[in-house]
This record gives sequence, structure tokens and C-alpha cells, in this order.
Amino acid sequence: MAEEEVVIEVDAVQAVYGDDCLVLQSYPPHIQIHIKPRTAEISSQQFVEAVIGIRAGPQYPEEAPDINIAESKGLDEQRKNHLITGIQDKACELSSCLMLVALCEEAVEMLSSMNHPEGNCPLCLYPLVEEDAGRDSLPFMKLMSCFHCFHCECIIRWWNWLQSEKEVIPTNLSGPSVRGSRSMLNQRSVHAAAEESTGSCPVCRKVFHAKDIEHVLDLVGAHSQLSSGDAKLNEDENLTELDSEKFRREKFEAILKLQQENSGLIEPRKNEVLLPGMFLPPPIPETTTVSVNETTDPQNTESNVRAGANSSGSSNRPRTSEHRNSGMRKHRGRNPRKQVKQWTKKETGNAD
Amino acid sequence: MTSSSAPSRKALSKIACNRLQKELVEWQVNPPSGFKHKVTDNLQRWVIEVNGAPGTLYANETYQLQVDFPEHYPMEAPQVIFLPPAPLHPHIYSNGHICLDILYDSWSPAMTVSSVCISILSMLSSSPVKQRPADNDRYVKNCKNGRSPKETRWWFHDDKV
Ligand SMILES: [Zn+2]
Ligand SMILES: [Zn+2]
Repeated sequence: MAEEEVVIEVDAVQAVYGDDCLVLQSYPPHIQIHIKPRTAEISSQQFVEAVIGIRAGPQYPEEAPDINIAESKGLDEQRKNHLITGIQDKACELSSCLMLVALCEEAVEMLSSMNHPEGNCPLCLYPLVEEDAGRDSLPFMKLMSCFHCFHCECIIRWWNWLQSEKEVIPTNLSGPSVRGSRSMLNQRSVHAAAEESTGSCPVCRKVFHAKDIEHVLDLVGAHSQLSSGDAKLNEDENLTELDSEKFRREKFEAILKLQQENSGLIEPRKNEVLLPGMFLPPPIPETTTVSVNETTDPQNTESNVRAGANSSGSSNRPRTSEHRNSGMRKHRGRNPRKQVKQWTKKETGNAD
Repeated sequence: MTSSSAPSRKALSKIACNRLQKELVEWQVNPPSGFKHKVTDNLQRWVIEVNGAPGTLYANETYQLQVDFPEHYPMEAPQVIFLPPAPLHPHIYSNGHICLDILYDSWSPAMTVSSVCISILSMLSSSPVKQRPADNDRYVKNCKNGRSPKETRWWFHDDKV
């Protein structure tokens, strides 16, 4: 097939995928496509994504292009292999036709069918999605920054724990900590303290913010006692319905809010996906902000920088050291290797 | 003193129980290599046998780890110590306390007994010399009243054992 035809095809791919398409070379074509599941209208309901590399040789399209996954989130090795094999099969099937757009579409289709978290909740070790359709699954969520998934209930419990630890620390500085005697915060103060607080992903330690879990905070709060931390979520059959209703309502409210701010009717910006609970600017709780800052250990700055350079996968490695005498200041940072790099893309959209 | 060193603790929460039972099952199906869980009916205290890895200073030696779980495990880290005699190691005190960040400040609830065991074994394996920490005597004396290592103010920094 003539070179111009192939080059025209590459232009077509670029026209279809816009910014999600990166042309590394137009002939023989070498492109990278950033794909997301078709079903993921709401970002918080998107559990996987990938950057697929398609590299053709001079014999293209008689010869199928090489397929690889340059980057991915939420996909384990098995599902990555499945994705690659699926696209390769499609390529063989379409042999000698111009197939770049078709391959991208196939990739999106496959990814859409994989749009759910895999494996166990890292906190309770029970499956996130019950294989057995007869059993009710607890609602789950993902952290927006790293796509690690947890049961809503479980991540909220971790969040509450972190916040209650921060509260306890100042009184502890003078003596040995009395662990286990702290009381969990009630939900109201969780909401108040949550606005400016951060937590860290239990799996990769990436920092996340209150707004990243705000939408599930309400969901879980309605169904269990946050204060005891022990109540297992009831097997409430209406839960998933409530869930989607909640997303719908919050999305609507977010739009409404935007409209008010812009004093008039507007449409959601074209390239922006509305995230439930993420557009509403939080009220500023001054008192909590201060207390949180106080507990921020300046010692952390150095290790933050170091951690930022590391890849996220290795951040749970243990370290050892000498014990210093007790006059020494304890390294108070709950997570000494907090990542500086945070997910901020969406939240800045509204502020400007 | 080691077995009495655990402070009197509250019973496990329901969530801690569920999680530990799950870990126990997983351990039985897929135990970390080099470790043996000594079965008891006490879910809140595990005693685990550690075999020094072949080719390291601790090859052919066997030690025992005692793991005590707090009420709010896994939000709170378990207390992990070596029962006597503790291995001679630059980060292990003669009273069995282990200076390893993941047991204290760097604990994450996504870690498990199994992953902690693996970290401890790798800490053992990477030691180039069999000796006690420099401040061993002073530290152990300070712990005389059966203090938990979780109450120690540890200081962590990056170093190669
Ligand atoms: Zn869970
Ligand atoms: Zn993560």
C-alpha cells in the first residue's frame, strides 16, 4: 500500500483521538494512544486506563504492527497481557487493511469490559468485587491519584484513623504515647478536619486529600458508625442504587454551583469530567488548619524530596536504623516518605 | 521478660479479628518461605519460627518472632519482637526489640504479618556483621519495666544496615 495512504490514516487517527494520540513517527506509523474505558463518564468510576503503543513496520498493513502497553493504571499483569493479545488478534484479523483506528477502538472496547478493580481490598483482604454474583459486594472506590482501590468503608476507617492520630500527637509529645486509648473522632469533626487534611495511600503512600474521598465519606457515614469503627456495613440491597443516585445528584449540584458562580447558565467545559464532590470549594476551617500545620514535621521536607524521585512502586520498602536516646526528637511524620507529587489536575480547573 | 513485655491490651476489634483470620488462612495456603507459624488458639499473639536464609550469616539458625496484635490492627502496627535468644544483629537489641521503620512510623495497614516477616528476614540476610547495636546496653536498661518497642522513640534514616 502506498505510503501516502498510510500517512493519511495516521492523520485520521490523530483527528479522532486528538490530544490522546501521540504520533512518534508518521511513517512507518508509530503512535501512542491514551485510552480510557468508554463506560467511565465519571472519573471516580474509572478504574483502569492505559497508554497503548502501536508500532508498524515498512510492510504495514500486510504485516501486523507491534502492540505494547507503555503505561497503565489499575491493570495487573494478567489483564495487561489479555489486552495486548486481544489487540494483536484484531490486528491479524484485519491484516492488509488499514487498521489503526480499528485497533484503537478494539483497545477501548476491551478496556471498557475491564473497568472494575481486581483482587482483594488491601485493607480487609476480602475481594473488592465478589466473583460469586449471588453475594453482595461492599461498595468500593479508588484513589484518584494512583487508582488503588479499597472498600469505601475500609479507606474511610483508615482516613479516620490518620486524622485521629494527628489529633492525639500534640498531647503525646511530652510522654510515651498511650496507644489504643485514643477515641475515634465523630463524623462531624471528621468532616471539619477533613477539609485541609491529607492521608496517604496504604499501598503506595501517595498523598491524597479529603476531597478525594469526600463522596464516599457521605456514603459510608449514612450506613455505619464511624465512631466505633467496628460496625460492618449492613447488607443493604439498596446500596448500589443509593450510590448511583448520589453520584447523579452530586453531579447535578456541582453543575448548579458552577452556574451560580458564573451567574448564568453554562455547560460543563468540554474536556472536563465532573467529579462527584470535587468541584465544591470546601469551607475553610481555620482552627483545624493550624493544628494540622503544627504537626507537620519540618524534618519531612528532605525526605519528601527524596521520595518524589523514587518510583511509587517501591515506597513500601522498610528501613532500619539505630535507636537514638530518648532526648532525641522522634521522627513524627506518619509517613516519612510522603510523595510530593500529587494529583492536582482536576481541582485547579475551577479555581481559575 | 519478653513474654510479659506486651502491655495489657484490649481484645481485638471485630475488624481486627476478621482481618487476622483472613491472614491466617492465607498464611496456611501460602506461607512465606523460611517461616513457620506455631499454631495456638490465640489469634492475638502469633509465635513464628524464622530460619536464617542459606548463604547468610544466620544460615542454619532458628529464631522465634512474637507478634502481638493491638485492638485496632491493621490501623495500628503489630508489636513484633524476637523471643530470646534474639539474633545478633546491628538493629536487633538483646531484649528482642527490632529497629525497623515499618514496625513503627512507616507501618501501613496494607502490610501483613507475612510481608513483615519477609522484611525482617531480608534485614537479617543483608547484615554483614553479627553484632549488637552500639547503644544496646543503655537501651535495654531503659526498657526494664517491660516497655513495648512501640513506645520507643525510634530515629530512622536511610542506611545500609
Ligand atoms: Zn476492604
Ligand atoms: Zn496508591
